[in-house]
Amino acid sequence: MIEFQPGNLNVPRWTRPVYMVAAGTTDFRKRYPEKKLDELSMMAFRMLLEENDLKMDPQEVKGLINFACYGEFADHFQDQLLCEAKVHDYLGLDPLPNVGIKTGGATGGSTLLMGATTVASGMADCVLVLGWERMDEVKTWTGNFYIASAACKDFETRLARNYASYYAPMARRFQEMYNVDERVRAEIAVKNRGYARFSPFSQQPGRHTIEEVLEGDIVSDPLRFLECCAMSVGSSAALLCSEELATRLTDKPARLYLAGGSHTLRTGDRRPMRILLLPNETEDDYKELYREMKAQDGRWPGFESFGATRFAAYMAYHMAGIRNPLDDFDLIETHDAFTISDLQTYGDVGLTLYGREQDYVTSGDCYLSNPHTGKQGRCPANLSGGLLGTMHAVGATGIFQAGEVLWQLQGKYDKFHGDSKLWERYGKRKPDDWQSLQVKDPRRGMAISHAGVGSHVVCSILEKGW
Amino acid sequence: MSDKVQLDTKPSKITREKDAWILHFPRFGEAGTHYHTYGLLTPYFQGLGEGRLMATRCVSSKCPIGKGRGDLWLPPRADCPDCHQPMDWEEIKDPRGYIYTYTHVERGGTGLEIECPYYQIDVKMEGVGTIPKSYLVDRKPIKIGDKVRAQFRTGKKATNTCLDLFWELA
Repeated sequence: MIEFQPGNLNVPRWTRPVYMVAAGTTDFRKRYPEKKLDELSMMAFRMLLEENDLKMDPQEVKGLINFACYGEFADHFQDQLLCEAKVHDYLGLDPLPNVGIKTGGATGGSTLLMGATTVASGMADCVLVLGWERMDEVKTWTGNFYIASAACKDFETRLARNYASYYAPMARRFQEMYNVDERVRAEIAVKNRGYARFSPFSQQPGRHTIEEVLEGDIVSDPLRFLECCAMSVGSSAALLCSEELATRLTDKPARLYLAGGSHTLRTGDRRPMRILLLPNETEDDYKELYREMKAQDGRWPGFESFGATRFAAYMAYHMAGIRNPLDDFDLIETHDAFTISDLQTYGDVGLTLYGREQDYVTSGDCYLSNPHTGKQGRCPANLSGGLLGTMHAVGATGIFQAGEVLWQLQGKYDKFHGDSKLWERYGKRKPDDWQSLQVKDPRRGMAISHAGVGSHVVCSILEKGW
Repeated sequence: MSDKVQLDTKPSKITREKDAWILHFPRFGEAGTHYHTYGLLTPYFQGLGEGRLMATRCVSSKCPIGKGRGDLWLPPRADCPDCHQPMDWEEIKDPRGYIYTYTHVERGGTGLEIECPYYQIDVKMEGVGTIPKSYLVDRKPIKIGDKVRAQFRTGKKATNTCLDLFWELA
């Protein structure tokens, strides 16, 4: 659709508020032979029930659940259809109803979205949202082919069989259109992998330099090795419920607002549209961009931006009353599967205007501690370590991101990242130079779950309940 | 390494059911073959093997976007997403365009049939509303804006897949 009719932009109106009260996760590894998939899911479920300071004991909490939504990206990887049945049974939740949800890389976000709508509609009062991926049954390059099955099999899969090669042309076009210094992309990799150093869950933490990123092997030009996320194994969970149950379960719930968008599997099929404006933007803001696009044969969203992200943000912002994302959000988790997707997203969600994404990153506002001022950045991004540093066990990713935002809003970053025993649980030692990445007094955050080259996106806004 | 990109593949077997080409994709040997239909897009794949680039166009006067003469679709699609009516086939004669964006693929996933490294390119063509992805046969350094013209794997060289269309620097 390249022109909207009035009904297309109707903002979702949930019939009752939805809250997130608890989260759980495994750590993430490239290979996890010690545990089976359902055993990993149990780890996430157990943490959710037992470690979130809920005001009821785990059995009582479990006794409130009356629906479950499960996220899994690819049956290819699990080599098992209906994993949902195995996991649900393993968690001891039969014969409650459950559904499996699949939207590529956005599976986690979509699973949250579907879970939230079951509460919003009254179908469920308390819903378990849990996702997983096991990407270690095959070698990395076969995994890459599996992932590239999420490109169009008639016209695109055969042209790379490697997903970085579908993002790289976007990076190339973005770079040329907006005159981006590749050091900015590298900076994103350094930042997010650096934040991952303080997470016991992280798979690829590292103290890297911009030079090291740029000198690394090329996966698909211009994307370097350290600019791409890795195959990952693990599981994450969230507990959503009604307001009445949230009150009974916790003093620190987060109210949820979620919306999704979608846009073509093939990037080149995205025909030109007028930019869908967010509440903080006007047509005037983009006069110059439209002129530049005309001069460069550009288009919106084209290869530079994600229409699905913009659409999801538009809806979620109207649901949550967001007027200016840079003022209204205290932190954000982007889907940094590749450095370029992180960079592109800042314009899509309106943290900066389209075309100024590079300036936004170099401004330091996406850091916990702005490197220019030493003060807290206005909207720190991917303090979890993101997909680049911590995890992309695909079906779990959007749920993991939301869990990290929840814990930040609850002031529990240190509890879930700074406890030496938690590091030991995963066979790791807490670093001597560990730092707290707790945002000071956050009120609202957002997690962005993203599929394909932008085929599906879900924006999940979490706001301190009371 | 030759200065032209080669394919490492055999022609995919095709059978025909009525007007549709069925691509045989032996995932687990002969017995584990997937039979994938090209459906109403068969004229496109058939055209490649004959050296013709076939696209579709919406000619419905009731179409809110095309208004009787929409842009060409490439990859083609049989039905218009704007008015839902079947589209017309049209050959693009002597197809030319320019490189809208690209990447240099150093390594692909398991089963890649194109010899690495090569340029995967997205080609913008006059009159085509979409920007189709393909590959370049030349290995010379390229930049956005470079002009290209279409080439085809035809006859016995045809793979019967999207790989039968490729581009060379014009």
